[in-house]
Amino acid sequence: MSAPSTTSAVQSALARDKLGTLSLLHFSLTAATPLTVIAGGVVVMFAVAGQIGIPLGYVIIAASLLLFSVGYTAMARHIANAGAMYAFVARGLGRVPGVAAAWVAATSYCALQVSLYGYLGYVAQGLFASIGIDLPWWAFALVAWLLVGLLGTRAVDINAKILAVLLTVEVAVVLVFSASNFANAADGVTFDAFSPSALSGEAAGAVLALAVIGFIGFESPTVYGEEARDRKRTVARATIATVLILAFIYIVSSWSIITAAGADNVVASAIADFDLMFTLAGDQLGPAWETTGRILLLTSVTAAALSFHNTTARYLFALGREQVVFSWLGRTSVRTCAPVAASITQTVAGGLVIVLWAVLGLDPVVHLFYYLGTASGIGLIALILTCAIAVLAYFARDRREESLWASRIAPVLAILAMGGVLYLSVIHFHTLLGVEKGSLLPKLVPVVFAILAALGALWALFLKKARPEVYSGIGHGAKAPLVQAAERAAVPVGAAGER
Amino acid sequence: MPDAPTPRLVYDAFLITAYHDFYKPAVAPRVIGLGLGAALLAELVFSGHLAVRSHAGRDLVLAEPRGGPPRDSLGLWLTELVQGEPDHLAVPEWLEYLAISDTQTKTAEHMVVAGLMVRGEQRSRWLGKVQVTYDAADALIAQAPLARLRRYLSTMDRRMPLLDAFLLALTESVGLSKSLYSQMPSGAREYAEGHLRVLPAPLQAIRGHLTAAVADTAITGNL
Repeated sequence: MSAPSTTSAVQSALARDKLGTLSLLHFSLTAATPLTVIAGGVVVMFAVAGQIGIPLGYVIIAASLLLFSVGYTAMARHIANAGAMYAFVARGLGRVPGVAAAWVAATSYCALQVSLYGYLGYVAQGLFASIGIDLPWWAFALVAWLLVGLLGTRAVDINAKILAVLLTVEVAVVLVFSASNFANAADGVTFDAFSPSALSGEAAGAVLALAVIGFIGFESPTVYGEEARDRKRTVARATIATVLILAFIYIVSSWSIITAAGADNVVASAIADFDLMFTLAGDQLGPAWETTGRILLLTSVTAAALSFHNTTARYLFALGREQVVFSWLGRTSVRTCAPVAASITQTVAGGLVIVLWAVLGLDPVVHLFYYLGTASGIGLIALILTCAIAVLAYFARDRREESLWASRIAPVLAILAMGGVLYLSVIHFHTLLGVEKGSLLPKLVPVVFAILAALGALWALFLKKARPEVYSGIGHGAKAPLVQAAERAAVPVGAAGER
Repeated sequence: MPDAPTPRLVYDAFLITAYHDFYKPAVAPRVIGLGLGAALLAELVFSGHLAVRSHAGRDLVLAEPRGGPPRDSLGLWLTELVQGEPDHLAVPEWLEYLAISDTQTKTAEHMVVAGLMVRGEQRSRWLGKVQVTYDAADALIAQAPLARLRRYLSTMDRRMPLLDAFLLALTESVGLSKSLYSQMPSGAREYAEGHLRVLPAPLQAIRGHLTAAVADTAITGNL
């Protein structure tokens, strides 16, 4: 009898079906919507901060996130359900902090997604008013809300294809606008925006907090860890490439706006005209490009809303599967396998906020987009920082053959960097919101997140005592039922195994 | 006869996951592949041709040499694949492999031979491509597996056979709980849970990994 072949036919077939770096890059970049970040974020940052150091802010955040990504992707190689940051916290710091992080994460993503409806309503209102259709912002927001709600219950791959097309066009337009800005420099191309003095004072924290939001989505390649061609390298390459590509786009485009408007005039121009990016394009390239840019901004904000809708739904779905929150959130659509219950929940939350803001007559840009969006930024920075601490704690117990750089040095540097960003963001939060120092609102946001984290921790402690099998599955996402079944079979009630 | 049993677990799984009618939709294509893979593995474990053993935290699939090879080509194909592997692979890897190996078509072809399905061909008007379709030879027989499970759940008067209990677990795992439990009397879920809790460890492992694989599909959107 001949010896069995040493090559595995099954492994070979599975390897052919695995995802490479470019595939993962596709998934992570489609979660980013650069035109929204630049047209909706960068110009506002000039206005809010009153400084020209925005490109430097992006450099600092990109460097911090690159440091974070080193340890984050190293840990992702060793854990299942690496898709959600709270899973890292649960494995690194324990299940109680994990659930606390999950509550903060779900709320932050949800708030960020809902905030986009305010900006979307504002952009659509302006665009349609120019062709004689005058409707309130909330009417456009509700149309987009319905579209996102419907697409959210479809298969994720359909959404990814739509987002990929929009992203390609967006990046092309941003690069054209940026090239045009550099070609039409007001005072020549200078590096003043990268000087440390260009980013200082009370506005620094505001700039850094807004800059972080632009990168959200960089963490998504870890979702596909088990489907990656080379789990050790592919996910890390895709995550780092995502940060680098986004950083390049944001730095170049923000620098180009300064160059075109002039370092001395850009702040005043941004305050006077929130559509500065398109105004510059209109002056330089003609009104057709300006109109194209405005239309693409609308599709970009819609894509951003869809992208964050998917991310939030995925978070809620994973939590539902773990039964950490309502288990019905873990239901999928039979036909499309989309996380339908979580998606509908997010849609309902968005609808309620739009209706509430409309009824109360609140401003869609200031009170919805800025307030909710920037508040969610604080939550997400805190989440990244907690995740960085979890990575360090995870490797402190056992380095698992990872390098000293990946397991110790990079996580420590990431904690210092993200800790600094969080500190500045919180103490300068009043600048971000455009309110007086010492007023209630800036204090309220960190307190709300702290209360959420505390409630999450209390819920985890309750689960530990009352439902140990559910507690054992925390942080395992889709694989939670396996862990819970093993817990039921192997461990007596009350002994919930390791942290 | 609406609840006439079809002869194999994998056929029942096909009719539950891939066949759609007024009462029950078909599930997503990848989930069909995962469900059929789980059913085929479970069938061969039940017949003693394969075994699932836990080793170092992994649920490995092993060939069991007892009693000769399976008599049908579908079972033989998988058993020979398991035997041909240089290292034992885990259940998730086999489910993944079976999901991408067009197990749906292989099973449908078997069911055509068994007289349960009818093979048809449709030519696309625009592309000119020929698309192969599989329709149930008898709509009532196609509904039989789900009807049988629902009968157990509605009467709750007798113990479910082991393979039907696994089929029930599979139906839940692929996301068809609503079709299963809709309009069932109170206590049906507890009755089902009572059966699922006592599934043998290998079948529990296959069930758990199927549930996890379906959830992974929902998260990654890899259809």
